[in-house]
Order: sequence, then structure tokens, then C-alpha cells
Amino acid sequence: MSIMQYNGSAIVAMAGKGCVAIAADKRLGQRALTVDTEFQKVFPITDRTYIGLPGLATDVKTLYDRFRMRVNLYKHNEERTIEPKTFSHLVSHMLYERRFGPYFVEPVVAGLDKNDEPYICGMDLIGCINFAKDFIVGGTASDNLYGMCESLWEPELGPEDLFETISQALLNAVDRDALSGWGAVVHIITPEGVITRDLKGRMD
Amino acid sequence: MNRFVEQLAANDVAELGMPGSLLAGPTAAMAGPTGHGLSFELAAGNNPAEFAQHFIDAKSEKDSLIKIAHGTTTLAFKFREGVMVATDSRATSGNVIASQTVKKVIEINPYLLGTMAGGAADCSFWERVLGMECRLHELRNKKRISVAAASKLLANLVYRYKGMGLSMGTMVAGWDEKGPGLYYVDSDGQRLANDIFSVGSGSTFAYGVLDSHYRYDMDIEEARDVARRAIYHATHRDAYSGGVVRMYLVQRDGWVPYPLEDVGDLYYQYHPEVQLTNRTESPLTVVPA
Amino acid sequence: MDRYSFSLTTFAPNGKLLQIEHALAAAANGVVIATEKKTGSSLIEVSSLQHMVKVCDSIGMVYSGMGPDFRVLVNSARKMAQKYRRIYMEDPPVRILVKELASLMQEYTQSGGVRPFGVSLLLAGFDDRGANLYQVDPSGSYFPWKATSIGKNMVNAKTFLEKRFNGEMELEDAVHTAILTLKEGFEGQMTEQSIDVGIIGTLPNAQDGGPTPVFQCLSPADIRDYLSNIA
Repeated sequence: MSIMQYNGSAIVAMAGKGCVAIAADKRLGQRALTVDTEFQKVFPITDRTYIGLPGLATDVKTLYDRFRMRVNLYKHNEERTIEPKTFSHLVSHMLYERRFGPYFVEPVVAGLDKNDEPYICGMDLIGCINFAKDFIVGGTASDNLYGMCESLWEPELGPEDLFETISQALLNAVDRDALSGWGAVVHIITPEGVITRDLKGRMD
Repeated sequence: MNRFVEQLAANDVAELGMPGSLLAGPTAAMAGPTGHGLSFELAAGNNPAEFAQHFIDAKSEKDSLIKIAHGTTTLAFKFREGVMVATDSRATSGNVIASQTVKKVIEINPYLLGTMAGGAADCSFWERVLGMECRLHELRNKKRISVAAASKLLANLVYRYKGMGLSMGTMVAGWDEKGPGLYYVDSDGQRLANDIFSVGSGSTFAYGVLDSHYRYDMDIEEARDVARRAIYHATHRDAYSGGVVRMYLVQRDGWVPYPLEDVGDLYYQYHPEVQLTNRTESPLTVVPA
Repeated sequence: MDRYSFSLTTFAPNGKLLQIEHALAAAANGVVIATEKKTGSSLIEVSSLQHMVKVCDSIGMVYSGMGPDFRVLVNSARKMAQKYRRIYMEDPPVRILVKELASLMQEYTQSGGVRPFGVSLLLAGFDDRGANLYQVDPSGSYFPWKATSIGKNMVNAKTFLEKRFNGEMELEDAVHTAILTLKEGFEGQMTEQSIDVGIIGTLPNAQDGGPTPVFQCLSPADIRDYLSNIA
């Protein structure tokens, strides 16, 4: 079993019309054993940029702390909040710095830029960025998520429809993955603010 | 086992006499030229067993063509009213949940149940063979086979294939002249008798619940509750167990199944304080940034 | 010589070095920097002199003071800009580059075995906040300006700019204003050979047509056109 599967995770981001969504499961496991069902895998970076970190839980926590430090320094140095695209390149750069001893995470970034345009992207564990206009998936349920997103996603979804779409995609994907699930959380990022909802999911 | 391999090494195709061939009497007549008609083709070569190991992943350790799923929670216990048998219903292939509605209780005959853990094909095949042998026993002796005898039959059956990659951990539960019977049999050839058993990747969690709540003099409702909670907790903690709780009670008149209970619903029954909804029944409220 | 004689005013901008006049003016949609290419001798090949350099696509820089010190700072500034680009995949905001360059210059006022840089810098650039121009002194202090001047005739030039400058100017007007400012204290004939003019404007980018900042030095032909308009 790969180290990427050690803790289990499922994260998905979707672009809508003037909004983006990012959702994650809540399981923290040690291989087959479920240890925690309230584990945070999606983190706010700014008011309108979020990052999801599927992969090895210890690296999830370490990386989030390092991102927070870099973004705070950026905020103080440049007296502006970092744009999702700029942040993605920062993340990519930080991951490639560990090219020969990587952090075991595949980050998913979702946010609105300064023109309220949706921005989503994903990365592999050494920082190769994958830009997408529709959706980005990651984690042990990523194959399932690809299937769900390919069939459910459509262009120009408003916040309500995007919420329903991403929720169904995530819940049904984790229901076919043994290592992720046990509850889920969804964030919808709109120009007015962020809507955060916990989802009712199967707890087995 | 080596004797078996040596015997087979000479031939490309080996025909294995089934248990009947070990027994004297009427079965011999049924055996015919190929035993009971059961035969396994083996690879050509000096050591077919070793060759077979290349393709079989009996311990979920390698990436083989034949993957044997080990994720399961099964349990059974004797109590005042009979034997309670309960299982989950999840089948996994790697991390993918292949099914949530698997039948892991095998109805050998109206008085005998077997449970399935380890290789699904191995369990269902050999327990059908066991069913056949039990029926032959009835015909020969004009009375039902005891649980002890049936479980020993199964243990002997799989012992002959020890080292060939069979994978099963099963409980044989039933009712005979001595009352309730419960045995554990696995593919190593081990056979144990006890009041409580649990088998599978979720068994440790089930044992935790059983050990703290089990009493011999429970009534049926209490026994059901303990079995249900044991399976539920196992499915909650074990990634490879889940689906529904499938429960059977074995009594003097044979076994009866209970309605299936979805584990997905059980969590929210056991935790009524968790109020969540997936529907957007009201306009989404925005938390200002 | 007194071992503590490396004072901040040893070299620039008011020291006894060869000083060059510079004028800067920020317009609504860009910045103009203009400089006199004064030489010690008429024999010097003027066309090879470079007082105005590009740091990155969106930032340009000129100096007053010691040429060799300037070259060192140009190298550092270009490296800083590329280092920032490597991390964020975009040019640094002008203020960030200025701050880092100023930190470097400050370090040289405090470190052992080195002397401070003998130059004052003017940086012009374009970023999210629009057109920017900054002055950086050898002490490491820096100032943002709407329009300013450094060099030997800076006092008069600033007075001139105070009268002529307004924030609504278009880029074309700013070029004129900059050249006129330079002309105030100019000795001899002003030709396309004797001045350099650099502008920061924006071009639509290839991807989404959004504004991309571009720094460029005007060609002698362009400068000639501007000069003929003034005359």
C-alpha cells in the first residue's frame, strides 16, 4: 500500500458561474483503522482562496502551517492578499523544493481572483500544476471522483446548483472507496462570502 | 501437502478425490471414475503450488491477478436462546468497494450456517461441498449431522489443500442433539469450539463490544442488540467492513434470518444529536468574509 | 585617512562625482524616465553608454553616481526580480523590488569590509497599483514620487516639475514634460544622442488582452521626433 493511501482522503473542487466550490471527506485512518472522523483537510488561505490537501496527514498539517507562514509574510511584505493563481505557484514552488524527499500530498486549490473569476487547480506531490476550467479531484477516491464529476458537472452552475453537484459527486465517490468518507464538508466561495456546510454521509 | 504435490507433479491434470473417497460405503459408488466430479487443473511443472502462488495474493500483500479480499466482520455467539450469527456485507477489491450487499452467511442447510471471511469463492465453494457432505450423512445415517461433525468435515476438507493458497476463516453454527453448536474453522486447518467468535478485519472491534456486553442469559432482543452494535462498531472503525447488518438466529427448529439493517442509518440512530441535511431546503446563508 | 570616513554622502547624490541629470514623471497610464548622457570627454563613443536599464519587463532603472556600483546593483536587482518570478510566476511589484534593493544598500552601510554604494537610483515600473516611481539612496532609504529629479540640477528641475506636473497627464505629455525638465539645466545642444528616454506603458497581453506592463528605451529616431515637436 502506497504512503499516499495510508490515511485516506477525498477532495474535489469545482468551478461554477462566479463561484467555486471545494469539498473534502473527514476521515483520518491508519490503513484500515478509522481513527478520526472530524479531520480537517481543507484550509482557508485568504477570504476567498482555499486549499485542500489530500494525502499523508502529517504532511497535511505541516504544509498547512508552512503555507500559512508564507502567506502571512506575503501579506505583510506586499500589503495585499495573495491571488489564488499566485498562491498556487507558491505552493508548486514549495513542493518542488522537496523534489527528492517530497511531501506526500496532492494539493487542490480553489478560489476567486480579484476580478471574481473562478480559479481552480491541482498539483502532484512535487508541484506539477494542473489547470482546469471544470473540476479537480484528489485523494484515494480520485478515480471515483473523476467518474462522478465527468457525469454530474456542467458549465455555468450557480452557488446552489454547484453545492448540490459537488455534494453528490463527493458523497457517491466516497461510498465506493473504503479509505475515505465518514462525513464531508463543502465550502462554496462566492464574491459575497463563503458558505460552509457539513454533509450527512455514511459512517462505514 | 507435499505428498499431495508430489502426487500431482507427475500429471498435468490432477483429479482429487473428494471427502467421499475417504469414506467407505455408499459414497464410493457415487465417486465414479472422477470422485465427486470435483477436479482442479494444475499447472505443469515440478511444483504447481509454487507456480500458483505467483498469481494468488492470499494475504493482501502483493498485486496479484487473484486478489483475495480480507475485509469483513463476522461474529457468532451462543446464548440462552440459541446461536446468534451476524455479519457485515461489504466486499472490497483493493480500496474499491465492490459491493455493499454481499451475503456472508452461507445457508448450508436449514439447521446449519457458515460465515464467510477471507476468500469469498473459497468459502462459498467449500461450504457447498460441506452442504453436500452433510446431506449424504443424513441419507447414510438417517439422522442429521452434528455441528461438531460438520465442522470437522470442513476442517479436514481444507486441510488437504493447506499451502495451496486457500483463504477462509469461517464459523459453523447450528443446532443438533446436544443443543446449540458453534465452531471456528480456518484454511490453516484450525478448528475451535467456543461460545463467542468473531472473524475478519473488523473482528477486534466486534470482540470489544461482545466482551463488554455479552451475557449467556440474554433474551433474544438483547442478543440482537449486542450483535447489531458489535457489527455496527466494526463497520464504523474498519474501512473494509460496512454495508448492512445481516443477522440470523439458530434455534431448535433451525435458523431464521432477521431483516437487514443499513449501517448508514444506524449511525444516525445511535447518534440522534447529529442533525445534518444534504438538501438545500432553505436559501444558502452566506457567512460574510 | 580616518577609518570611519565612509559617510553616506561620500559619493552621491551631492558629492563631487560626475553627476547626471535625471527627470522622472509618472503619468496616469505609465511612467517616463529621462536622463542626460553626459560624458567627461567628447571622444567617448556615446552610443555605447547605457544609463538606463531594464530590470524586468515591468521595471526600469537609472542612476546618478558611480557607474560600476550601478552595474552591481543592476545585477542584484535583475536577480531579485527573477527569484521572485521563479516563486510566484509574475513580476515583483515595484515596491517589493525597491524594498529589497534598499535593504541590500542598507546592509552595505553597516557591514565590515565594504563601503556603501555610490549611487542614487530611480526605479520606474508598473504593477497592480498602477504606475510607480521610486528613489533609493545609498543609505537604504527610499521614497515614492509622483515626479522627481536627481542629479546636479535637481533643485531647479524639481521646482520646474512642481509647476508642470499633474496626475492626469497622458504618457505622451509626460514624455514632453520629462524632456522639458531635462532641458532646464542642459548645457549645450540637446540631441537624440545626448539623452536617453525610457517609458513604462502597457500592452494588451496575448492570453486575455489584459494590460501587460512593458518597459522600453526609446530609439534615437523616436527621441528625435519628440525633440522636433518641442523645438
